[in-house]
Amino acid sequence: MSLPIYLPLGLGAFLFGMGLWGALTRTNAVRILMFIEIMLNGVNLNLITFSRYYWQADPEMAARAPIITLFIMTVAAAEASVGLAIILNVVRNRDVIDVDKVTLLKG
Amino acid sequence: MTLNLLLSGEFIVFAILAIVTLLSTWRMVTSRLITHAALFMALSFTAVAGIFLLMQAEFVAAIQVLIYAGAITTMVIFAIMLSGLRDIKSQAKTAVRSWTKSNAIVFVVGLIFAAFMSYLYYAAQLPRAAAAESMTTVSTIGQSLFTYYTIPFEIASILLLIAMVGAIILTAKEAEQE
Repeated sequence: MSLPIYLPLGLGAFLFGMGLWGALTRTNAVRILMFIEIMLNGVNLNLITFSRYYWQADPEMAARAPIITLFIMTVAAAEASVGLAIILNVVRNRDVIDVDKVTLLKG
Repeated sequence: MTLNLLLSGEFIVFAILAIVTLLSTWRMVTSRLITHAALFMALSFTAVAGIFLLMQAEFVAAIQVLIYAGAITTMVIFAIMLSGLRDIKSQAKTAVRSWTKSNAIVFVVGLIFAAFMSYLYYAAQLPRAAAAESMTTVSTIGQSLFTYYTIPFEIASILLLIAMVGAIILTAKEAEQE
């Protein structure tokens, strides 16, 4: 294993940081969903990297990381589909896409 | 870092993929058009799938391309096109182009977080892994998915079913009531 472990782990951290930056600064709801996906992707990258370096020798353990990643992706897909449906409804009813303009619940 | 490492094929492939990932994610944050952002998201996902291949996780790379680069990107683009989000002007001034104070603060916080984590990983001196050939194949994963992880697998399928029904109910026009 010639590639040092901190390189892919650092890439995962940077993906997470950029996703955080985008999700907190943009107001467009669809974009916020996209950046949440980017953050989940960075997390998956870290998980797979650790598994590659430390769990690879044991076949019982080595199958574990892909399965956890599969579940994370399942939740991400479900979240994206329901989130996009909600956003479509908001756009249809209120004709607005910026999350800070949807202030019906504001007291 | 030794010259030996810098010249190894593994490092070169990783460097190319990492640069593609970071640049496309950067463009995704800064691009003004939302369709461009969605396409850059697909590029970023594909590059990360390449890194998964480098980590010898073929199954994860395959489902990354299928689910993220395929399904989720398509869904986002469909949502943009079908709802005319493209035409609705974002009320806020195109966010990141104008470096307002709050944008800059969040950017710096994210950067500090990523740099700090990278430094931690670097300084932690994680124990050297034993060089091992990959033992995971899709059949290993499938075997433990259908024996040890049966119940989580079924729960995941129920979750997907509920999400599908919920999305259909939320977006379907109530035709029969009118």
